[in-house]
Amino acid sequence: MNHLVVLLHKFENALLYSLVTGLVSISLLQIWLRNFHDSGIYWGDSALRVLVFWLAMVGAMVASRETGHISIDALTHYLSPLWRKITALSTSVFSAAICFIAAWHSYLFVQDEREFGEIAFANIPVWWCEAIMPLSLFVIGLRFLIQILSPLSQASEQDT
Amino acid sequence: METYFAIAAILLLAVMGAPIFVILLTLAMFGFYIADVPLMILAVELYRISDTPLLLALPLFTLAGYLLAESQSSTRLVNVTQALIGWLPGGLSIIAFVTCALFTAFTGASGVTIVAVGALLYPALKQVGYSERYSLGLVTTSGSLGLLLAPSLPLILYGIIAQQMGVGPSFTIQQLFVAGLMPAALMLIMLSVWSWWIHRGKNIAIQKFTTQELKAALWAARWEIPLPALIIGGIYGGFFAVSETAAVILLYVFVVEVFIYKEISLAQLPIVIRQAVAMVGGIILILGVSLALTNVLIDAEIPSKAFDLVQSNIESKWAFLIFLTLFLLVLGAILDIFSAIVIMVPILLPIAVAYGIHPVHLGIIFLANMQIGYFTPPVGMNLFIASYRFGKPITELYRAALPFMGVLIVALLLITYIPWLSLGLI
Repeated sequence: MNHLVVLLHKFENALLYSLVTGLVSISLLQIWLRNFHDSGIYWGDSALRVLVFWLAMVGAMVASRETGHISIDALTHYLSPLWRKITALSTSVFSAAICFIAAWHSYLFVQDEREFGEIAFANIPVWWCEAIMPLSLFVIGLRFLIQILSPLSQASEQDT
Repeated sequence: METYFAIAAILLLAVMGAPIFVILLTLAMFGFYIADVPLMILAVELYRISDTPLLLALPLFTLAGYLLAESQSSTRLVNVTQALIGWLPGGLSIIAFVTCALFTAFTGASGVTIVAVGALLYPALKQVGYSERYSLGLVTTSGSLGLLLAPSLPLILYGIIAQQMGVGPSFTIQQLFVAGLMPAALMLIMLSVWSWWIHRGKNIAIQKFTTQELKAALWAARWEIPLPALIIGGIYGGFFAVSETAAVILLYVFVVEVFIYKEISLAQLPIVIRQAVAMVGGIILILGVSLALTNVLIDAEIPSKAFDLVQSNIESKWAFLIFLTLFLLVLGAILDIFSAIVIMVPILLPIAVAYGIHPVHLGIIFLANMQIGYFTPPVGMNLFIASYRFGKPITELYRAALPFMGVLIVALLLITYIPWLSLGLI
């Protein structure tokens, strides 16, 4: 189990760093070409938009393991430790379920798009660009599930 | 009846601390489910955010901001402002307001201003003779000053949403940036004058002006001084597109902090990148699911119902503005700024436009309110960060923040009721 989690982290990190590198290089290249050579990569802007989308989805995956997602946590500050654990547990169960449902339906959507076979830019099919959605939502759901399995360690981390 | 029960249950989960994006996603799913729309639509809606050209600016500016926050740029910024205006009466307070505003514009009011700049200024303020309570109040409330200055993320986010809706007169993101200048200056001036007034005749040490010190401070910060110029030339001057400016600034900050100042090691870099991307990814995910929710709301005619409700009860623009201010202050105290923008702007913008409020003016009003919401008891984020950072009980911070809040509310009313402050320069 732990081994798989480490592997997932490595995969996410590698994806994240490549996306950041790609994003920054293509934007700088576009600026260079546009301002100094009066040209540009034909599909550059479309690629950048898809890269930002991917980066956001991967970022959201990473957020669910590290910093946590934005929530109205201020009121839980006033709960007793026991109640805090209970609320943390129930919101995690709920969040995991919602993420899995959303992941499943976006998977169906990507399947549809694959059959449709439209091209996004430069021979890249649209469904490749969209495939990050089910993956990301599934992983985020998985993280909530892991939180349920280790609610005690999670709660004590939040206290510090 | 069941519908209301379900919505109440979802909102209860929100208060219990479920992530905002999960709550918005659930509400959207529920809405589509009732309307008998296949849930695949969620993915269609979520993917729709990739159509927004301005979106690229968000991760680029966020990365640049995180790199700046991680380096010693806050120390150099304080030193330069201190050498420049430390000799003024009330000098150190003014330094604090100005540096916090500049730092927040770059780092986006994520609380990092309090940790990076506030932590430097708090001991310095007490040392020159300001009271403990005043110093605490200053660093707590200044953590969100500068939200109205480019390239702050909330400002860009408002622009993205308002432009996508296309309600009322159209505007460019540059115009939105320019609009924030005078209101931000007004807040800084009012805070500075108020601070000078309450401390007049008190024994507050003032620093002597020396060219030598100014030179040394400028020399130390020589690589970071071009940054505001890049922003001014790039964004306000319209030389680059906004996302181009963001890319150039990121490259510049990266080279300066990593290779010239060498304050961020290459080993540290992945961690900083990960934190920045996690933050911006979380925000874009919220933005994406809120687009889906907005469509649900529109199909259920919620905005037009809200519109009718408001219009049948409030006649004049001026009464509406008061109602808006009160509503936003409460909202800002409960919700974080990003969620508040993505959830409320689609509902409020059409109503405001119908009352003759310019979308740019609404944006400035919205953010000025949110800025105050950051330190409004009981749940303003700055209060918790300051309490944690300075080891003070939160109730002490409530009291310390109160007078600053008073000054900023007066500024807010001026900004709200004098549209010229926001629209005069655009």
